[in-house]
This record gives sequence, C-alpha cells and structure tokens, in this order.
Amino acid sequence: MTFFGGLGLVIGLELRQRVRGVAWYVLVGIFVVLVAIVTVLLWLATRAFDSNDGAAGFGGWLYSLIVYFVLLLGTLVTPAFSGNAINGERDAGTLATTQVTLVTTGQLVLGKWIAAWVSSLAFLVASVPFIAIALLLGNLDAATIAISVLILAVELGVLAAIGVALSGIVTRPLFSIVLSYLVIAALSVGTLIAFGLLGSVTRSTVTETYVGFNADSYDDSTGQPVDPVCMPAQTNTYETPRFDLYWGILAANPYVVLADAAPDGFDRAGNPTNLFAAISGGVRFLQDEPELTRHIDDCAQAKNGVLGDIDGTQSTLKQIHDRAVPSWYVGLGVHVLLAAAALWWAWARTRTPAKRLPKGSRIA
Amino acid sequence: MGEKLAENPHDGIAVRGVARAFGSVEAVRHADFDVPPGSVTGLIGPNGSGKTTLMLMLASLLQPDSGSIRVAGHDPVADPAAVRSAMGWMPDVLGSWASLSPRTALEVTGRMYGLERATSATRAAELIDLVGLGALADQPARVLSRGQKQRLSLARALVHGPQVLLLDEPASGLDPAARADLRTLLVRLASEGTAILVSSHVLAELEEMADAAVYMTAGVTASRDDVSRAASAGRQWRIRSVGNAPLTPLLLQVGVDAARITEDNRGVLVSVNSEADAAALLAAVIGAGAEVRAFSPALGEFEHTFLDLNRGGVQ
Repeated sequence: MTFFGGLGLVIGLELRQRVRGVAWYVLVGIFVVLVAIVTVLLWLATRAFDSNDGAAGFGGWLYSLIVYFVLLLGTLVTPAFSGNAINGERDAGTLATTQVTLVTTGQLVLGKWIAAWVSSLAFLVASVPFIAIALLLGNLDAATIAISVLILAVELGVLAAIGVALSGIVTRPLFSIVLSYLVIAALSVGTLIAFGLLGSVTRSTVTETYVGFNADSYDDSTGQPVDPVCMPAQTNTYETPRFDLYWGILAANPYVVLADAAPDGFDRAGNPTNLFAAISGGVRFLQDEPELTRHIDDCAQAKNGVLGDIDGTQSTLKQIHDRAVPSWYVGLGVHVLLAAAALWWAWARTRTPAKRLPKGSRIA
Repeated sequence: MGEKLAENPHDGIAVRGVARAFGSVEAVRHADFDVPPGSVTGLIGPNGSGKTTLMLMLASLLQPDSGSIRVAGHDPVADPAAVRSAMGWMPDVLGSWASLSPRTALEVTGRMYGLERATSATRAAELIDLVGLGALADQPARVLSRGQKQRLSLARALVHGPQVLLLDEPASGLDPAARADLRTLLVRLASEGTAILVSSHVLAELEEMADAAVYMTAGVTASRDDVSRAASAGRQWRIRSVGNAPLTPLLLQVGVDAARITEDNRGVLVSVNSEADAAALLAAVIGAGAEVRAFSPALGEFEHTFLDLNRGGVQ
C-alpha cells in the first residue's frame, strides 16, 4: 500500500462517515440561503447608488462579503465537525481497529485533516454562483478573486488542522471541540480584543505647540489674512493610545490576513472598492506612529498665504495602504506553522505502539 | 527482567518477562508464555488482572515497559508493520463504522491491509458467509445487534488471513449456535496452523476449544510449576444416583471420610486427590451397589486450576 493509497482510504472513510449526513446538507443549504439574501440586498443597494455614480459597481463589496461569510461559516462549523475526529473514533472503538492495520499514524492524522478541510471547502464551492453574480456587478478583478480564494482555502485548512489536531491531543471529544472553538475564537476575536485593550492601555503624551495670529482683515478673494501678527506659542499636552505598537496582533487575525493579502482594491480616487481594501487600509493605517511632538504654526501659514491649505498633507486610504508594511504573510506563516505543529503533536500522541497514554484513556 | 528472545523463535506468540505500568498502576507485572502455531490458548484471569493490557501489547498498540514480545516472529515495537500484516485482533470494545455496511467495512479494512480492491471484495464476501451476516451485509452497521457486531469484529480480524489471532472476549454476546460456530471456526483455523490466543471469562467454553491455557493473576502469568501443582491438587468429584437416591450412607460404608463429603441439591461432592483415586472411588461405589448415573469433576480443568491458583495466590 502506497502512502497516498492509505491516505486516500482514510480520507474516503472519513468523508463517508462524518460528512455524508443530513446535518451537513442542511448547513450548506442554510449557507446558500444566507448568501443569497446578502446578494439580493447588495444588488438592491447597487441600484440605489447607481444614480450617484454609475461607474462604481458593488461586485467587489459583494464578493468580499461572500468570502468573509465562507470564512465565518468555516470558523463556526469546522471545530464541530473536526474537533472529535480522532478522540471520537477512539470513544467509538474504531480507532484501534484502524491502527492495527497497515495504515500509519501519519496517514490517519493527515487523512482526517484533509477530509475536514475538503468538507469546509464545500462552502466555498456552494458560493460559486454568487461569486459569478459579484463578477457581473463589476469592480472586481480576477487577481482579487484568485488570491483571496487561495488564502481563504489555506485559512480553512488551518482551522481544520486545529480541530483535528486538538482531537488527537485532548482525550475527551467534548473538551477538544470546545478547545478548538476557543483557539479559533482567540484568533478571530481574541486578537481584536487584545489589540484594543493593549493599545488603549499603552498611552503616550503628545506635546503640541500652537502658534496663532491676529489679523485685522482678510483678503476677500483668497480668504487669507492680511498682515497677520503672530501670537506667543502655546504648549499643551494630551495622551494618545499607541495602537501602532500592537498592530502585529491583528496580523494574526484570519480575517485581517485575508484582507491584507488581497491585491489593490481601490478606485482612482483612492477609496476602497471592497471590504478587503477597507480593512487592510484601516489596519495598515494603525501602523503609523502618532506624532508625539506636534508643531502647528498657523501664523507662518498665514504669512505665506497658505492658511487652511491641506493639499499634500492628507493621505488617501490607498496611499496609506501602499506605503505601509504588508503583514499578511507573517500572519499566514504563523497560522501554517501553528497548524503544522499541532498536527505533529497529534501525530505524536496517536502513534502506536503507544509509550504514554493520556490519563484515563483506553487506547482500544 | 526476563531473558531476551532470539529472532524467529516460532511463528506464533512468544512473550518473555513483559511488564507494563500506567503511572503507579502495574497492569502487567510479569508475563511469560508461548502460543505455538496450531494452538488455541486460553488467557484466563480475573477482572483487572491485565489481560486486555497484555492483548494491546501483543496487538502492537502499546509498548511494554520491559521484556520482549514476538508475534509471528516479529517485534511489535521495532517492526509494527510486520506484526500487523501477520496478526488479527478482535478487541473487547466493539467498534464499527456506524454508517458503513458490514460489506463495505470489511472491504475498506482489507484495503487498509494492502489488499487489491477486487481481492478485498471477494474476501469480504467470503467472510460475510463465514460469520453468517449474509442477510445484513448491506445494511448500515448501526442496525446490527451486539452479537452481530461481534461477528463483524471477528470477520474484520480475519480479513488478511493472519497467522496469529488475538481474540479478546470473542464469545460474549453470541447466542449458543454462534458460539458453537466460533468454536468450530477456531479449531479449524488452529488446525491450519494459526496461533490463537483467546481471553474469556467463560471457562467452560474455553475448555472446549483451547488446548492450553495461560493463567494470569494481578498482572503475573502463573508459572508452569504453579499450574501443574494447581491442576493436580485435590479436587471435588460429583456423584449423582438414579432417582437421586441418597449416597452419603453408602459412601461412609465404603470407607470415605465424612469430612470429604459435601451434599448439595445436585448430588454429592467428594474430595479426591488424584484421578486414580477417583477411579477407585467409582469402582467402590458401584461395587457397593449404588446406581450411579453421573460421575464427573465438579469443575472443569481450567476453572479448577484458575480457582486454585487464585485461592493460593501466585508468588
């Protein structure tokens, strides 16, 4: 029996055992209905906006929402389906009977992981018709679809690996399912909470110097003051949260990874055309260190006749996005390493002949 | 502890000085026995004496802490794949893939042992016939009764035609006809050269198929000397007369000490030291004119030895 032969047997068995059930089809059905509702609502919204700006299509927004939906469903469903892949079989007494065959522990663990992955990819497949609709709505390019689908697939694989691995590491199925949910929630929600709390707690003092002016009259045509007289500089201080120190935490969030990896999603004015660009721009904006000593000299501006002129100082989201450091490959790399390490641990715990047994477990 | 085994002592099971503890619980302390090819050997011991732990070590699922094991000539720790391709194991826990039919389950198992698709389909059909699951072969396994699952489990252990068979409580849940079939099957497999180790609580049943026994108490297998001493120790013989006529007066009359006689609802029990003494006793009773309709050991040989070993305590 070749390695892939045995792997295929385990995958086939796993898919037949766990996935081929009514519950699975019900879930996929619910998912399709939800995505259909979102599609219809967004399509209506597009029509409403058409009068304002006919050039902008909402395809990008719809597509990114669908992809996030698939990821959300993956995070909600994968732990339930994969979180007892190994210890559930041990409880049912069918693990040991597989282990005494020529199927190796590696084939067993990898096969279960791939089966869990394939079943979460079913959601992606079910969303294909809606992705097609999104394409018709416009403002969506093939590169965005290709890259985000690829990253989504990898992230779903990471989720499946966490569930399957914990089912091999933890003895009790219920506990491993709950633990999978907690780990996945820590990545998707926990990172946000940690980021928000740490950023708010860590504060720096900003020292702001302001130079004002007095002017008796203003030029009617330009609105600039005539002969401004500078006032003494005023200094005041205030505290600002330091989110820039913690943006790395957000890089570990699967939703951020997905958004950050998606290529350019901005229109000519520099505004986002999909949710990925909006989130990624926002997260990258947080990388900017706040100015801790600010000097606002209205008087000098007034003397130069450029008071209130903000051109060139304000960046668009696209500019912020493009000049910042992309973080998705760090996050993705961490996820893939985490998944691989977890699967390895599960392999070590499931290997036979077993040297150590978890407390209170029977291997039969 | 225990001497090391040479490679390939024989193609059955050889166990020398095997011990295995789970934390502070010493499940198996010292196991030492052989199951040669062509033999059905019973593994007998009270609950919690380490039988299942021993089976798991033989089945290449658990590493012994010390000692050595050879199954079909291979070491399950060093070369589990070789052991697995030669060994069939029927666990005491009945597990079956609930949504798969017995036929599919057997086919998948066959392919997990490296059989070709066609070969494993043929083999599955043969085994379904052999264990009598024909009517349910294509129903999902969740509809099977306990006894039917037991048969499926046996069939699964036989999929790859193993030279060594490990059966943990194979008869529990089987009806009398299925038990008889199991017995016939095991005796046939043994005659074809398979080494079979059967653990069971039903000693009378083991007695009918096993040609040898390994006794286990508190994680220790009884030594050959202990076993022969226990087997030859004084045992009770049951005498029953036609119409259940009282036998005690007659026994006293032929000179049997009153202390050796016990009466119960099913006749009279007399303690006898050896089989020769038993024969002499029978001759004397019949000579004295009793109408004897049954004269037999009160307990089977395995049961007698088992009880005697446990009563005396090993070591």
